Amino acid sequence: MNRFFYAKLAVNNIKKNAQTYIPYLLTGIGTIMMFYNMSFLAIAKDIGSLSDSAQLRSLLSFGAGVIAVFSVIFLFYTNSFLTKRRKKEFGLFNILGMEKKHIARIIFWETLFTAVISLGVGLAAGILFSKLMILLLFKIITFKVTFGFEIPIVAVINTCVLFGGIFLLNLIYNVFQVHLSKPIELLKGSSVGEKEPKTNWLIAIIGAVSLAIAYYIALTTESPLAALFLFFVAVILVMIGTYCLFTAGSIALLKMLRKNKSYYYQLKHFIPVSGMIYRMKQNAAGLANICILSTAVIIMLSTTVSMYVGMEDLLRTRYPRNILVSARNVSDEQANKLDAAIEKHTLEAGLIPKDVIRYRSMSFAVSQDGANFTSDHSNNFAAGNIAMVVCLTADEYNRMENKSVSLDRSEALLYTLQGDIPGDTVNFNGFELSVKDRLASLETEDKMSALLTNSYFLIVADVDTIKQIYNSLSVNQGDMGELSYYYGFDVAADKEAQISLVSALQKALKEINADCYVEGAESARAGFYSIYGGLFFLGIFLGLLFIMATVLIIYYKQIAEGYDDRERFEIMQKVGMSRDEVKQAIKSQVLAVFFLPLVAAVIHIGFAFKVITKMLAVLNLTNVQLFAGCTALTILVFAVFYVIIYGLTARTYYHIVS
Amino acid sequence: MPLLEVYNLKKIYTTRFGGNPVQALTNVTFSIEQGEFTAVMGESGSGKTTLLNIIAALDKPTSGEVFLNGKNIVSIKEKEISAFRRDNIGFVFQDFNLLDTFSIKDNIFLPLVLAGKSYEEMIELLKPIVARLKIEDILEKYPYEVSGGQKQKTAIARALVTKPQLILADEPTGSLDSRSSSELLHLFNEINNDGQTILMVTHSIKAASFAKRVLFIKDGEVFHQLYKGSMSNEELYQKISDTLTLIATGGAHSE
Ligand SMILES: Nc1ncnc2c1ncn2[C@@H]1O[C@H](COP(=O)(O)OP(=O)(O)OP(=O)(O)O)[C@@H](O)[C@H]1O
Ligand SMILES: [Mg+2]
Repeated sequence: MNRFFYAKLAVNNIKKNAQTYIPYLLTGIGTIMMFYNMSFLAIAKDIGSLSDSAQLRSLLSFGAGVIAVFSVIFLFYTNSFLTKRRKKEFGLFNILGMEKKHIARIIFWETLFTAVISLGVGLAAGILFSKLMILLLFKIITFKVTFGFEIPIVAVINTCVLFGGIFLLNLIYNVFQVHLSKPIELLKGSSVGEKEPKTNWLIAIIGAVSLAIAYYIALTTESPLAALFLFFVAVILVMIGTYCLFTAGSIALLKMLRKNKSYYYQLKHFIPVSGMIYRMKQNAAGLANICILSTAVIIMLSTTVSMYVGMEDLLRTRYPRNILVSARNVSDEQANKLDAAIEKHTLEAGLIPKDVIRYRSMSFAVSQDGANFTSDHSNNFAAGNIAMVVCLTADEYNRMENKSVSLDRSEALLYTLQGDIPGDTVNFNGFELSVKDRLASLETEDKMSALLTNSYFLIVADVDTIKQIYNSLSVNQGDMGELSYYYGFDVAADKEAQISLVSALQKALKEINADCYVEGAESARAGFYSIYGGLFFLGIFLGLLFIMATVLIIYYKQIAEGYDDRERFEIMQKVGMSRDEVKQAIKSQVLAVFFLPLVAAVIHIGFAFKVITKMLAVLNLTNVQLFAGCTALTILVFAVFYVIIYGLTARTYYHIVS
Repeated sequence: MPLLEVYNLKKIYTTRFGGNPVQALTNVTFSIEQGEFTAVMGESGSGKTTLLNIIAALDKPTSGEVFLNGKNIVSIKEKEISAFRRDNIGFVFQDFNLLDTFSIKDNIFLPLVLAGKSYEEMIELLKPIVARLKIEDILEKYPYEVSGGQKQKTAIARALVTKPQLILADEPTGSLDSRSSSELLHLFNEINNDGQTILMVTHSIKAASFAKRVLFIKDGEVFHQLYKGSMSNEELYQKISDTLTLIATGGAHSE
């Protein structure tokens, strides 16, 4: 026999199975391109010239990791689908007298060809696109410097090793599959096991309960810090719930529908319901995958887009004023010096401080239990009972707000930023103050920490009262020291002027108080853009990857169903079903199966919305409307995309069926 | 008026990729009276299945006419064809063509559901047929759980349940062992005695010998026909066998 006999046979097989092979090749090429680009970006020289390059690089490396994991899963999934569909063909070869080792040889050649094509085209396209990618990334993070064209050999090698490994894995799987099976089973191949699925109530209930718990968590979590932790618990539960409900729940539901005679024996329901009981058995896992992927894509895109779009809001939340000065343990004398120095340097820069917020205070991180505060930190953050109490003196308050209140030593004014203190008293480990009044507003705007934990501002008579609070909270821990100092102001100046003012202040104020900390929104802007822009880039990139995966699963699912359904619909036509009725039946079945995951994904997102806004608050995004808009838009775009995929794959499906 | 009239039927298959056109039927003319049980015999490839498909309006002839109860089914509109087929024709296939996703009962119900009958009506129609075919016990089972003979009975029940004018059967015994075959053929006899018209295509001389009339097709034409008359099954068997030998040795037309 000719040395290249098997190679030729392999080429023929690939051509013959083009309908399933082409998507496989495209997936291979696509993932290889994406992986190469992400690994390229993670080590690209150009990124080195960024100030926050390390953070961005680790973000991009993380992205490459995610792509790697997904590539393994998806190429393996696609391959196993291909192999399953072709078992019959292999069985035929076997029966026609070809030994298993010869079949293995054909498979070897097929795998080699696909690997070479995918890697060759994928890498070439990846390298071609890499320049575009880095330009896109820099555009997003508003960074301009780029050098020449670069092909980092490490990225190329990594890509080859990873994908070579994946193809090897697939080869081993395929050979194993052929080796394990008997010809007669091979011949039956994909049609084995068309038994009616059993209703598994236990799994259905587990699914419903998991989902209920997850939704409950998502709806009831108030504290952002708790949200961070609980969100992942909820994600796991949603995944479990989705898988269980799609697999067992759907069948239980369909069987219940079937029991309802007057519903079931209608043309509209008869064929879809019975058909779907079988389809769900084979496709439930795939549909659950689509649902989870869709949810992930939508959440990832909506959060990263809204953070990127809301960058200015975000900066303003993090930096309530253009320039912020804060220091701890500042004496009255030092405070005056700081005031003077800030004013002097700002004026020297030719600028005038506007919208000044200046106050001196003492902050306590405490555990809250109703109106009782203690310094017991044994409770963890997730419990959500951590509170910040910021104490100001009455004098300070009067100055800030232009008021003239006077307070007794046992009295306090309360301003609640977040949380709730019931009753008319506050108790600090035994030291009690009566709440004289609750304030409707306060000019502090220290919102950042406020959103993470419960936060209260307490205006008390004088520094001695603050000291008393301190002493009751922290027994035997020495003197409280001086109050903290906060000075924030806006300036009407461009970026460079603001940055240089910040550095001038940094230098000057350090001489007065070593703990003095000067921040400027403009100085932080580049860093913000590189992080949030990086996240945005990653979101789009991974979103595309996930969408690709979704398309792929849907496509294969449709093909598989098409072949399975073809026979059924032929029979139905012979029994007296018209073409139109067949089309209608196909449509309602395909539609239900197809849009179930999307609908479920949207429901997941609806429930997750609140907890995501809490988490975004931790990342400084407090604009809920913006996020809602981005989410709605993402869902819309995704749905449009989904409908297009549906249209395309449904066409293939009709083609196969009729 | 005969129930079924077939005039000068011609069917030429033209393959898509420029292959030679195949003449499956050249010129077929015959008619079937109400209540007849007719068998069609012929060599493999002689066009039997093609003929049945055209009568069932599953396929269109190249030329010729087919009348069922005086209605020309060749010129029937595409939209009405399925309803027409559902109401007038019951089809029994060699390979049963049952749907794995339906229980035996639901398989039988399928044409009724398509016709938009209510569940109560369906049950009423089902009962007598199921009793006659003795398949009460397997109604809740699935096709893959029952024997070939039972599957074929299900297919017959499905064909009968709509009370069709004409039952068409394409090699209904082809997948059955001899015991199930004779059971099925006796069943056909019984149904026929109740007045049901049956047109059956078969290779098997034994199967054909159960019919009241046998048509022989050769080279796309009706070559010969035999009436059972008062003959016993065995006598008809012998006659059929002789005729087939004649056809095989290239004998001339008779009658
Ligand atoms: N769809 C088709 N396209 C092209 N040619 C066809 C088609 N169906 C049947 N033929 C050809 O028409 C001729 C008659 O076929 P038909 O199936 O009617 O034969 P048959 O008498 O039923 O044979 P058998 O006893 O083997 O079932 C054959 O030569 C066959 O190859
Ligand atoms: Mg035939």
